[in-house]
Amino acid sequence: MITQPATRGADADLVSASWTQPEAFAELFDRYSAMLYRYVSKRLGPEPAEDLVGETFLVAFARRRSYDLAYADARPWLFGILTKLISRHRRTEAARYRALLRAPVEDRVDSPADRVAAGVSAQAARPELAGALAALPTKDRDVLLLIAWGDLTYEETAQALGIPVGTVRSRLNRGRRKVRAALGETNPLLDEEA
Amino acid sequence: MDDMKLLRDFGAALEHEPPASLARQRNRLTGARPRRRRVGLLVTGLAAVATAAAVAVPTLVLRGHQTVAPPAGARPAKVTTGALNVLLVGTDSRAGSERFRNGARTDTILLVHLPADRKEITAVSIPRDSIVQIPRCGALPPRKDMINSAFNQGGLTCTVKTIETLTDVRIDHMVEVDFLAFKEVVNALGGVQVTMKQPVNDPKSKLRLPAGTSILNGEQALGYMRLRNYGDGSDMQRIKRQQVLLRAMMAKAKKTLTDPGKVSAFLGVAGKSIKADKDFDMETMVDLATSLSDSRPRFLTVPWVPSPDDPNRIVWKQPAADRLFARLR
Repeated sequence: MITQPATRGADADLVSASWTQPEAFAELFDRYSAMLYRYVSKRLGPEPAEDLVGETFLVAFARRRSYDLAYADARPWLFGILTKLISRHRRTEAARYRALLRAPVEDRVDSPADRVAAGVSAQAARPELAGALAALPTKDRDVLLLIAWGDLTYEETAQALGIPVGTVRSRLNRGRRKVRAALGETNPLLDEEA
Repeated sequence: MDDMKLLRDFGAALEHEPPASLARQRNRLTGARPRRRRVGLLVTGLAAVATAAAVAVPTLVLRGHQTVAPPAGARPAKVTTGALNVLLVGTDSRAGSERFRNGARTDTILLVHLPADRKEITAVSIPRDSIVQIPRCGALPPRKDMINSAFNQGGLTCTVKTIETLTDVRIDHMVEVDFLAFKEVVNALGGVQVTMKQPVNDPKSKLRLPAGTSILNGEQALGYMRLRNYGDGSDMQRIKRQQVLLRAMMAKAKKTLTDPGKVSAFLGVAGKSIKADKDFDMETMVDLATSLSDSRPRFLTVPWVPSPDDPNRIVWKQPAADRLFARLR
C-alpha cells in the first residue's frame, strides 16, 4: 500500500486518459508538481511558486485535449506553460536577482566539492551570476534557465517554447556569453590573488 | 571555468523544497472539474481518509480496543453491494481521566464512504457547529441542537443514530479517536509538516508556531487540529486546516511506513485509546487497509448555510446535502 508501482505509463497515456477520466490528470500533478516547484523557487522564490505550479496544472488541464500525444514526456509541455506564467513576473524575477547581488544567499550547497575546476566557487560568483541573469532579455533567460535549472535538453526546450532547436542554440550561446563576460570581468580568483 | 556548472550550483542554492501545502494546488485541479462545481460541493482536500483508514483505524485492532454498541431501533438498510460507510469522530476526551468521562465533545466528525471497488473514497466533514434535529436516544428526548451535543450526552452510539437519522446513510462501522490516540499517531509518524501563513500564538489550543513551515509533534499537531482563533476563526477554516493536516499525515505515513516491519511497529505504539464497534475486527481492518492502497480519497464538507437563528451556527443546505448523502447510500 505504501510503495510506488514498479512501472508507470507514459505521460501521454495519462493525458489521453484524462480526456474521458479527468481524475487521471491528477497523476501528472503527483509526478511533476515538486519538480516544477523547485524550478520556480529558483527563479521567483518560494512565495509565488506554489500558486504558479497550481496555475500551470490548471492551464494544462484546460488544454489537455490539444496535447500532442506523439510526445510521451509531458515535462516540456508543462515547462512551456510555466515559462509563460513566469514571464508575467518578469519584474519580480529581475528584482530578485538584483537583490541577490547585494545580499548573500542562504547556503544550501557550499562544500569544497562544489568548487569548480578553475577554483571559482559558485558562491563567490553569485553576485556576477545574479547580475548577468537580471540583465538578460527574457527570451534568452528562459532558454538558459530551462536548460541549466530545468534540466531540459535542447530539443525539449525547443518544444517547451515552441521555437526551432537552432533558435534554442543561438539564444543559449548568447546567454552563456553574457554570463561568461560577467564572470570574467570580476573574477573572484583574481581578486584573491591580488 | 564552466559557466553552466556555476549556474547550476547557483540554482541549487536558490532552490526550495516544495512544502506540504503544495498538495492544496492538486485540489484546485481536481476541484476545478466542472462536474463537481455543478454539484456545488466544497471540495477541500484529497488524501485524508486514507490516513484515517490506513493510519488510525488499523491501530485499534492490534490492541484489545474498547467497543461501542450500535444504536438500537430501526436503522437505515445495510447496503449489500460491498460499499462501506465508516463514521470517524475525534473527541476531546482524555483516556483514563474521569473528569472528561462525560464531558467529551466531538471536535471532528468525518463520514467516510468506501465504494465497493475502493477507488474513489469520499470523506465528508460534518461541521460540529451544525444545528440539527437530534433523535431520541436512550433516555434523552429528541431536540434541536448542535450536532456535537449528541456525543456529549449520548456517546458515539447516539452520534451514529443522529447521523443515520439525518442522512439515511447506514453507518457500518464507527471509530472514535481521542486526543491521546491522535498525539501518539503523530509522534509515531515522527511529526508532521504544516505551513502557516501567519504566526500562531494561541493560549487556548496551546499552540505557538512561526509563520512558514514547521514540523509539529503530537502535542502541537493536536493544538493545530483544535486551533480556532486563527484566520477568520470559523469552524469552516478549522475543518480545512484539519483536512490539510490529515493529508500531511497521510503523506508522512506513505513516506515513513515503507515496509511491514515499520507498519507493525507504528501500529504497536499508536493505538491506545481508540474505540470502535466490535464487528470492526482485525481481519476486516487489514482487508480494508490493503484494499485502500491505490484509492483516490477526496474531501467534501456538508453543504451549509449560516443558521437563520444564530450567525455563529450553521444549518445544512438543502437539497444539496441530501443529494450528497444519497450518493453514499
